[in-house]
Parts: sequence; structure tokens; C-alpha cells
Amino acid sequence: MKEQIEAIQTEALAQITAAGDERSLDDARVAVLGKKGTLTLVAAGIKDVPKEDKAAVGQLLNAARTVITVALEEKQVILREVADRAALEGIDVTLPARQLAVGSLHPLTLIRDQAIGILRRMGFALAEGPEIEDEFHCFDALNTPADHPARNEKDTFYFDSGKLLRTHTSSVQVRTMEAQAPPIRIIAPGSAYRRDEIDATHLSVFNQLEGLYVGTDVSLPDLKGTLEYFLRELFGTSTEVRFRPHFFPFTEPSFEIDVKLTIKGQAPRWIEVAGCGMVDPAVFDAINRSRKDDAFDPEKVTGFAFGMGLDRLAMIRWGIKDIRLLIENDVRFLKQFA
Amino acid sequence: MNVSLNWLATHLDLAGKSIKEIDDLFTFAGVEVEGIIPRGITSEKIVVAQIKEAVQHPNADRLKVTQVDAGEGSLRQIVCGAQNYKVGDKVPCALPGAELPGGFTIGETVMRKVESKGMLCSASEIGLPPGEDGLLILPADAEIGKPAKLFFDSDVLLELEVTPNRPDLLSHYGMARELATLLKTPLKPLEVPAVTTVAASAIQLDAPAACPLYTAVRISGVKVQESPAWLKQRLESIGLRPINQIVDVTNFVLHELGQPLHAFDAAKLSGDIVVRHANEDEVFLALDESEYTLTAGDLLISDASGAALALAGVMGGLHSGVTETTTDILLESAYFTPQGIRRTSRRTALSSDSSYRFERGVDPQGILTASALATKLILELAGGSAEASIQVAGEAPVLTQPVVLDAQKLDQLMGGSIALPAAEEILTRLGLSKLADGAWNVPSFRADLQRHIDLVEEIARVHGLANVPSRFLGAFVPASPVDAAYDADMVLRRRLAALGLHECQTIKLISDAQVADVLPLRPLQDGDVIRVKLPLSEDHAVMRPSIVPGLIASAARNVRQQAKSLRFFEMGRVFRNAGGGKAKDQESETLAILLSGSNLPTGWAQADRHADLYDLKGILSALLGERKITFAPKERAGFVLASEIKVDDQNIGVFARLMPARERELDFTSAVYVAELDLGKIRKLLNGISHVEDLPQFPGSSRDAAMELPIAMPNAKIEAVIAKLAEPLLVSAECFDVFTDASGIKIAAESKSVAYRFHYREPSRTLKAEEIDAAHQSVLDALVKGLDVKFR
Repeated sequence: MKEQIEAIQTEALAQITAAGDERSLDDARVAVLGKKGTLTLVAAGIKDVPKEDKAAVGQLLNAARTVITVALEEKQVILREVADRAALEGIDVTLPARQLAVGSLHPLTLIRDQAIGILRRMGFALAEGPEIEDEFHCFDALNTPADHPARNEKDTFYFDSGKLLRTHTSSVQVRTMEAQAPPIRIIAPGSAYRRDEIDATHLSVFNQLEGLYVGTDVSLPDLKGTLEYFLRELFGTSTEVRFRPHFFPFTEPSFEIDVKLTIKGQAPRWIEVAGCGMVDPAVFDAINRSRKDDAFDPEKVTGFAFGMGLDRLAMIRWGIKDIRLLIENDVRFLKQFA
Repeated sequence: MNVSLNWLATHLDLAGKSIKEIDDLFTFAGVEVEGIIPRGITSEKIVVAQIKEAVQHPNADRLKVTQVDAGEGSLRQIVCGAQNYKVGDKVPCALPGAELPGGFTIGETVMRKVESKGMLCSASEIGLPPGEDGLLILPADAEIGKPAKLFFDSDVLLELEVTPNRPDLLSHYGMARELATLLKTPLKPLEVPAVTTVAASAIQLDAPAACPLYTAVRISGVKVQESPAWLKQRLESIGLRPINQIVDVTNFVLHELGQPLHAFDAAKLSGDIVVRHANEDEVFLALDESEYTLTAGDLLISDASGAALALAGVMGGLHSGVTETTTDILLESAYFTPQGIRRTSRRTALSSDSSYRFERGVDPQGILTASALATKLILELAGGSAEASIQVAGEAPVLTQPVVLDAQKLDQLMGGSIALPAAEEILTRLGLSKLADGAWNVPSFRADLQRHIDLVEEIARVHGLANVPSRFLGAFVPASPVDAAYDADMVLRRRLAALGLHECQTIKLISDAQVADVLPLRPLQDGDVIRVKLPLSEDHAVMRPSIVPGLIASAARNVRQQAKSLRFFEMGRVFRNAGGGKAKDQESETLAILLSGSNLPTGWAQADRHADLYDLKGILSALLGERKITFAPKERAGFVLASEIKVDDQNIGVFARLMPARERELDFTSAVYVAELDLGKIRKLLNGISHVEDLPQFPGSSRDAAMELPIAMPNAKIEAVIAKLAEPLLVSAECFDVFTDASGIKIAAESKSVAYRFHYREPSRTLKAEEIDAAHQSVLDALVKGLDVKFR
């Protein structure tokens, strides 16, 4: 019986060694250790073994079973490793991706969101107003004389009703002050319209961001601090900012703001980015008349206002040479902002 | 406005000021410098050189090899092609490194195998007016080696933008006065003869409101001819064309003092000067040979015969001006009120240097000065004799009044950055003077200074914002509903971009033709479209009532650029009237989406599949999270498959496919699906959840059912039956297969198979199989009863 067991073991090990895949390995296991396997049958015959030999044969059987089982397990590990390797063969990681559709936000949205983000951190809240405006909110209340060039039908879009398309977002200042008492601290992004022929630097519909802070003791240092901080956040902390005296009907004193920027391939130069000034007392007077109170008594409140062109900021930020790219929505342009 | 630096320097000392300093000076005075154009020789490396030798170039017939002395101790060899010089002449020589006009820099070269170390120059090559052909021959006494610029006028033309509140800067003297203030340097006194006046008998002022002051002086016996070089040079330096001494003097005085003048040929006048309003429809033949039809608001200078001599302050008449044969002139200097000039100039679209200044306001006290200066110059240049006194009709208007400076408010606004004495010193330098009562007297040329705040502006401007501290001290204000809307919009934008859509920005003015593409939430009636009165072009005539037309146009443009996948969205305002124009100018905000062409980028692992309506529906579902979106068909003109988009029975927008004929017209090669949604409603749907739902504790179970239905039966009917049944154990039902066979083999051609999976669960316990079967049967029964379906 001993010889029989050794023979079974030898043959089983040979079969295990010969097995080329998991299936033939399993065949080998069933042939030896299965219900009708050779070793199982021999083990069943142990009842016929003389009593004094039973222990020795039992030991032999167990030893053979252990050797075969270990060999099976070792072979299985090897075969799986081979199979795993085979499964990876032919996979080319350098093939391009299975692509997803990738979208993008418009550059105007990106620059507007950044600007709004900075100003909100500084405590400004958003405000809005109609784009189809009346002359009072667009001009009269903003101290713009009746014969001011901007009020011409050549420069401003009018409607038969006498209303007009707002030429600036400054009308939101008026709307807000009519509806709320100081302190007011608002920003108003929005469209404005001018009868400009569309070309590389002009659009008849463009985008502005307006700001207004009215309260007691709002001063030039507040205007300067706020706008310096804003522009340095937008263009980089070391950006040089300068305020040039200028003229707007609705602020006094008024300034235009330049930042010194380097456009790719050019020497650094001053680039105009915004207009600002202290709210002209005549504007407060007009608001009070409209409100029929003196919530904006120019003797008690002061304020500053600022406005900037978002299209222009986007052009500066990304070196966009033709403003029309901002309204043509060419996918090849938009994709770059993904 | 064009300003000549040399001209400016006749009024104040600008020596040693670099162009950059001048630029900054103007900039911080509030005058925008739009251009700086150097004139004349600018380079120091163009020097006087004497030609010592000139021999024929060995390899070129037309060239000579010269040896020149440029004052360097040794001679310099230069190849030269000019013929007009002789040895011993002194000429300008550009040394290596010299920059010539046009940005060309001289270097050492080899010309036809002969070295040439510089360039001998003609006048035009070094930025001077072109003279005779060939080299510019310099005077024999020119010192060798000196920069050639010393022998020629060089100048700098400044193109300046003066803000409308500062008409006092619209002249060289006015600009110099401002610079002198800022530089704290003295202004050279203006040499103008003393003025005597006499009440005019021959001037009839019929429109004193439009012309409060009119003066004239008669100069007789002048000889009209070309102006002398200095005057021509002055005018040419700011881009004006010299005509004759009389006209040139009036132009000179305008740009010198800012007061426009007009010279009439006295022989062409009959009788008194009459300053009157035009008659309605009166025709005026102007200097530019055009006829203008006037209105009663326009102001005319006419004579006693009623003939119109000039459109006051704007332009002279064709036949009343000075010509070569003129001997007697009448020189006008007047104050015309800005509003009238502005109206006339705008209405006639006639603008001149004169109207530009009158409509901004000239100095009422400068009118006689200008007349006196012009008279003096005309007598000097054209001879003749002038009346002893200037004839004056009317009075100079007083446009300024004393202004009080509120020291406390000044301190508040300036943030304490300037002490009162320093502020007062600025006002004094600007020509203001403090009166005994403490108020400030304002000079007549500063009519813009009317209020306390105007004085503050001057102080802030001169003091400079650079000298004001920065402060950051904001009052707290709460976030507004606009903030909330903005935040919601940004969430939507980011979700849409993450879903692979590109955000667009289209113009809010569309064409009449594009109105056919609109997909507003409520259909338009006649009178609901808002048109601008004077559109720039037909393409931008209508306020968009919907964003969809803009997206369609953008998509069509991209198709022409061979774009394969069009996935766009835009958010923004739309404009319309409502009820056929009853409710006017309504503005609301919408979100529009457009899908067409490849749904995903194609590649080795992806077949091309074009987007369809279910893709758009999928985007809407993803956009609104767990909300269930349903489409309810409702026809729209110009579109097919149009449906209302609903969430919880609320109508939130419109979906449609563009009419296939329109798609073809726009060269689309695949279907164009669009949706326009009410942003106001969508923002509310984004409010998020108020509390989480507990996860199920017990397992559920599902049953599938495939039913055969008429092919036209909408899925919504199945959903309606299931919803109506409200089987308590049914948690959800989803359609997972729709099958048709046009050949009729696998299923009858007029039928379809729709397969649903039904999920059953009871939150408090595990269901028994019989309970699930019973619930499922009730669903199947309801479907049979409601829709007469057959189960397969």
C-alpha cells in the first residue's frame, strides 16, 4: 500500500507540474483528491489495513495529501500570476482617452466672478436694475445736462416710448439709493449699450461692473484703499495703481484708474481699467427729490462710486485682441477656458 | 487738442523737462495724453560733418566714397549716393547708433565691398521738411561735431484730451497757465496792447441771450498775402494749414488764447452787423460750400440787408470771408452761449475749432484781449490801420461767483491728508483769491468752479491721490436677493460646464429675421417685440425676447467652422412686452441650452452618436438633481417636438427641436435641440434639501414586466396609470427598454414593447414574496385596465 500511495503522489505531482492552466490543475486535483480520486479511493481502503499498520498508513496518506495540496496551491498561485500577466498583455496605456464632453465658463463670467468675489469679501452686496431705462435714472439723476453728447440719439439707443437702453450701469446706483437708505455698499454687474459700430475694440452691448458706497464719513482714502485693494487682488499684489484726475458728471472729484501691466511681448505700460470718484452732491439732491425725503442729505452723507468695463478686463487678462471674440462663441475660443 | 511744446514754451520755462515728465504733468493735471509725436531731428548722434574727400566708388557708378570730419580727430569713411555737394561742404552725418525717423538705426556696413561707417543725410531722412534733392548742406559756419539738431527747430506735438469741464485748457496760454500752477513756476506775461472800447452803434444785438457780448474792430487798408515763416510754422506745428495772414492770425489767437475770432471782408457787408436768430428754414451757404437749412434756434451774424454772413460761432459764410482782394476787414470777437452753439453744431453736424470752444464756454473776460492781440498782429503782418477802440455791444456775462470752502468737509473728504493752508495755497496758485468774508473769488475762465465740492476737486487734483492715504473701513451690509440669485446662477453655470456645455455670450440685440427663432416661455403676440428706434443695423434691431436665436446663430457660425459637437448654454436677460404690448418693457432672466451634433468627442473607443432630445432631457435632470423633469408636448411655431418642461407640475420652460427646414437653411447637418428655462423658477428649485431621508433598513425586491402597446402610446400614460394607482409598496418604477420592429417579425409593426422594472419595499419590515407578487399584480392589473396593455 505504501508503494501505491507513493505512486499516486508521484503521478499527482507530475500532473500538477504538467498543468498549463487552472482548469487542468483542477482536473489533476479531482483525479487525486476528488470523491473518486485515486488517493480518496486508497484512503477508503484503510479499513482493510491490519490494525497495527493503520497508524503508519494513515500517516503516509496524510503526508501524501499534504504534499499534493501544497503543490496544488503553489501551482495555482503560479498559474494565476501567469494568467494575470497574460490578461494585461496587449493593453496600450499610451492610447488616447475615452473622452468626456468638457464644457467651459465664458471668460466674462470668469472675470466677473473673480471681481465679484473680491468685492464681496470687502463687504459689497449685489444689486441690479433694468436695462431698458428712463432718462431720469440714466442721465438726469446722475447730473448729466440735457444737452450732454451722450444723450444724443446717435450715441444712445432710444425707444419710441422715450425710454432708452442704459448707457452705463450707473443707473443702478440711482435705483438702489431710491430703494434703500445709507449705508449702501453695492456692486452691480450688468450690460450697458452705446450706439457704437461693432469693431475690434467696440461692441454696442458691453458689460460693466458698477460699485457704490454711501455712508457717513466715506472719503477719498476709502475710495483709494478699496480700489487699490481690489485691483491688486485682481492683477497681483505688487501691481502699481495710479489715479488720474478726470471728469464725470456724477462724481467730483473724479479719477480714472490705470494699472501698470505687462502684456505679453510688450514693455510694461499704464492701462486704464476703471473710472471712479466721490458721488457729486447734485446726485444726492436728485435722489432726495425722487425719494421725497432727505435720507441722502449731502451735508451728512458722502460716497464713492466706481465703474469698469468687464469686457476690457477680460481682454487685458487673457490678451484677447478682438472684442468680437467675446460674442462670437467660437468653440475653439471657448474651449481654452475649460 | 493739438499742442506744440515749443509754442507752450513761449509762455513758461520748460527747459530741462523730459517728455516723460511733461507726459506725467499733463496726466496728473487730468489731461489725457493720447499721443506724443516728436518733430525735427531727435537723435544726438546726427552731427555736423565736413566732407574732406570724395572719390568714385570702385564698384558702383552712382556711388562715391567720402572721407568726412565729424569732429572725432580722425576721418570717417562713408559711402554716399548724393550728387549735390562739393568737397568742403558741411552736411548732417548720422553716426552708427543714430536713430532716424521711422525707427531705423544706423550701423557700420559694407557697401559693394567698401566699408561705410555712417550715413550722410538729406533733410527728409532726419525728419526735416524735404528740401532740394541730395544732402542737406549746412551753413559754412556750422561747428563740426556739434549735434545737427542745434541748427533746426525740433518740436514735440502733444495730442491732448481735455475733459468737457475745462474749456480754459483749450489753448496754449491756458494750458501753460495750468502747467505753471502745477510746476509752481512763473507764467511769462502776455504781451497784449491796452484795450479801449466804445459802445457800438453799428452792431445790433437781437438775441442777447444767445450772444450777450459782441465786439468788432474795423481794420482798413490791409494787404492780404502769405503769412511770415514764424506764423506758418506755429500753425503747421499743430497740424493747421496756413491760408493768409488774416485767417492765420485768427487761428493763431484761437489756439493761443482759446477765443475764436472771425474776420469778415468789410466790403461784403452792407450796413450794421445784426446778431439774430435764423428764420425757420432759412438757408445758409457755409464756407465748406454746403447749404444748411436752419431753425429758429440757430444764431446768425447777418448784415443790415439780412444776408447771413456767418453761422455764429460755428462757421463763416462762403461769400463774407477774407480773400486775396480784401482790403478792409471787420474782426469779430464775441461770447456765444454754449447751449445754443452745441444745439446748432449737433443739429447741423458741423463742428469746428470755434464751435468746440464756444460750446464748452470761453472766458467772458478774454474776448477783448483776443481782439486786441489779433488786431496788433494783423497790423504788423498785413499793414493797414485799425479803429482806435473796439466796438462793443452787450456785456460780458458774469459766470462765476464767490465760493465758500468748507474746511471741515474738505478735511473729511481728503481724510485729513492736507492742511488747510496748503489747500488754500493750491487755490491761490490756481488764480482764486480769498475775499474778506472768507469766500473764494473765482477767475472768469474757471466757470466750472461753482460749489464747495468743485474747490475740493481742484485741491484733490493738484494735491494728487498719491498723497492721500488708503483706508479700508466698510460698513456692514447684508447680502441681497440679487446675491442669492447670483450664487444660484453660478451653481447652474458650473454644473452645465461640468456636463460638457460651453457658456456663450450673445448680443442682446437681434435681427427681425431672428425673431422667427425665438422660444420664449410664453408665446409672443403682435406688439410684444421691443424694437429700438434707430438701430445701428438690421442685425441689431430688436431686444431679444429669448436667448435661443443667439445660440442658434452662434451654433450656425461654429458649423461653418467645421465644429462637430455643439453644446452651448447662455444665461441672461430677455425683453418683451406682454399681452400684445399692454404690459411694457418686461425684463426677465432665462437659461437657454442648445445641443446638436456629436454628443461626445469621437475616438478609437467611441462611436459617433449625435445628441438627441433625451440627451437634453438628461442634462436638465442632472442640472436639477433629484427633481423629476417631464415634457408635455405643446406646439410652437417654427419648431417641432415642442414641449413644456415641467417639474412637479410647474411649467419651468420650453423644449423644442428646430424645424428641419430651418436646420438645413442654416447648414446644420444634425438635429438642433434647444430649451429655454425660466431662471427665476429654476433658482428656487436649487434650494437643496431641508433634511436627509433615512436609508432603508429592510431589503426591497423588484419585478420586471414587458408590455405590448400601440406604437404611438406615450410613456407619460404609463406613468400616469402607475401614479394614479398609488400602490403603497411600490417605491419606484423605471422604463428600461423600448423595442419596436418595423418589419413586424419580432413584434407587430404598429406595436411596441415597453419594459419596466418595479421596485417594492416596506420601510418597517422585509416583505414576503406573496405580498410583493400581490402588489405587482395590482400594478399589472391597473395597466391592463387603464391602457389595455398585453404582457409579453
